[in-house]
Amino acid sequence: MNLIEASNITKDYSLGTQTVEALRGVTFGIEQGEFIAIMGPSGSGKSTLMNIIGCLDSPTTGTYHLNQQEVSTLSGDELAGIRNKEIGFVFQTFHLLARNSALDNVMLPLKYAGVSKADQVNRAKDKLSQVGLESRMNHQPSELSGGQQQRVAIARALVNNPSILFADEPTGNLDSQTGHEVMQLFHNLHKQGQTIILITHENEIAAEAQRTIYIKDGLIESDTRKE
Amino acid sequence: MILQESITTAVDSIRANLLRSLLTTIAIVIGTASVIAMVGIGSSAQRAIDDSITNASARTLVVYPSRGRGTQKISAAPLSISDADALMKDKEINWRIAPEIRGSKSLKYQNESISIQVIGAREDYLSILGYEIDDGNFFTQRDDLARKRYAVLGSSVGAELKTSSKALVGKDIDLGGVTFKVIGVVNSEGSSGWSNPDEQIYIPLFTASDRVFGRDRVDAIRVEVPNTYTPEEAMISIERVLRREHDIGPGEENNFRINDWSQFTDLQKQATAIFSALLIGIAGISLMVGGIGVMNIMLVSVTERTREIGLRKALGATHQAILLQFIIEAVTLCIIGGVIGVIFGSSLYFLVTVFQDWVFTIPFSAILGSVMFSAFVGLFFGIWPARKAAQLEPAVALRYE
Ligand SMILES: Nc1ncnc2c1ncn2[C@@H]1O[C@H](COP(=O)(O)OP(=O)(O)OP(=O)(O)O)[C@@H](O)[C@H]1O
Ligand SMILES: [Mg+2]
Repeated sequence: MNLIEASNITKDYSLGTQTVEALRGVTFGIEQGEFIAIMGPSGSGKSTLMNIIGCLDSPTTGTYHLNQQEVSTLSGDELAGIRNKEIGFVFQTFHLLARNSALDNVMLPLKYAGVSKADQVNRAKDKLSQVGLESRMNHQPSELSGGQQQRVAIARALVNNPSILFADEPTGNLDSQTGHEVMQLFHNLHKQGQTIILITHENEIAAEAQRTIYIKDGLIESDTRKE
Repeated sequence: MILQESITTAVDSIRANLLRSLLTTIAIVIGTASVIAMVGIGSSAQRAIDDSITNASARTLVVYPSRGRGTQKISAAPLSISDADALMKDKEINWRIAPEIRGSKSLKYQNESISIQVIGAREDYLSILGYEIDDGNFFTQRDDLARKRYAVLGSSVGAELKTSSKALVGKDIDLGGVTFKVIGVVNSEGSSGWSNPDEQIYIPLFTASDRVFGRDRVDAIRVEVPNTYTPEEAMISIERVLRREHDIGPGEENNFRINDWSQFTDLQKQATAIFSALLIGIAGISLMVGGIGVMNIMLVSVTERTREIGLRKALGATHQAILLQFIIEAVTLCIIGGVIGVIFGSSLYFLVTVFQDWVFTIPFSAILGSVMFSAFVGLFFGIWPARKAAQLEPAVALRYE
């Protein structure tokens, strides 16, 4: 059984009298351990789709199963639990808490998981060293480079050992060199068995994934797997 | 567990956003402090006025001869020294009685000459009015009976003669052509509204009637009413004696009138009521201003905080955890601000009471009211946007601008 099972997902945004159909019926499945790139032109609905399968937003119609669970039937608190334990999210704009240290930022998901203070610190430190930031733990985001900030965000996304790591254009705000380093990180994670879903505009980055889903005008145009 | 995490998160958040927290706190401090200071000052001022009303010197009735109606001049039956004596001799009225003769005379000293209000009075006049002697002495009963030409000056009379009142003690002055010896100076009392005791000169009653004004007629008789009498009861007793003295038959009108201090106090009470209403108004406005300050800071941070809430939700925060964090944050800031405000306001109020020589009474209702109000404002404007943000889908909250 697939880790993610989405069928006929639609999403409408109403802007006054006008309705934007961001997704117009998307169906696909994702298995454990896959590394998937989502591509498509700007405004095609990539972020909308990722927010829905990452449980940050709800679809207008369609069903979505995560780990065999129908997400639309879950309560707010159950969804919070899933976001906390099953899902790690990396955003294009990092979304770190500004006046908090890197360590505090990484500890945040563990706080909501009810982990003891000592464990919070230990696990957050572990993840920070895994992304190569052990010497920057007490720095605030404003004292870190873009690549370092994104690595803090990745450490935060991974700290609670999620089933799936979502990344919405994680290299979009980085130069190609740092972008490359971040991609290297994703590769290593994938090798360790981490399921990764990644949005990108760059063919070069998409080429690194095993499977590419191409979206256009709110519909899947192609879904290709490398051997 | 959730509570404990929320507390640490809230405290972390306050510390991390120190400037914003500080501004919120200051707004609450200003609101609370101004209310406490205003209400405190108001209630002390009111008390000071109340005290002066219950003060013995304020319990004085004043009997005046009736003014003739229309063009008629002074009434045919004026008040006289013997009326005052009759009041004093009455078995029921053994209160202090102070008859006075008033008139304007010219006062000369060396080359200076001024016109001055002269008061002929008895030896207990000063204590009945609650005045005190500053230098030298007041005249005695014997001085009065002997028609001594002694004068006691108001504190600023000397200045009008290009010297000082104190410097005139022991000197001779010329009062309407009669030479008087200055024997004392009265403390500065300040103007009472109708007359200024500092600009008057006091001489013995009999000296005034026999040597200066040449009349028995007095201009007023002050009667000090003891606490056991209401003004109405005291008036009836005074009327009884004076109607007998003046041979007024039943049904005839009085040919004198009695001024009641309660008219005066009613006015004063009205004035204090207006005064305290004003203070409450000012206090209310200060609270509003403080509240608007809190509101502004809270609202300004809504955008930032909405994204923060979106992020926290994306990382697994429950609705409850978010609300708890914001409630604790707001309550903490309000309590800190409230306590500092109470201390600040009370200190300000205390300083004023020291300078004004007022009683310091901490108005508990004001403390409670202002702290509760600012807590309410802080809570409302801290939680209301947070609640709204927590209801958004995380994706929407994260994109909020
Ligand atoms: N909150 C919203 N309200 C209204 N319309 C929206 C909203 N979010 C997205 N849209 C619209 O939905 C469509 C898909 O948007 P989406 O952000 O998913 O695109 P995208 O593929 O991620 O584009 P990009 O590559 O530029 O990030 C767009 O037309 C966009 O204008
Ligand atoms: Mg996008």
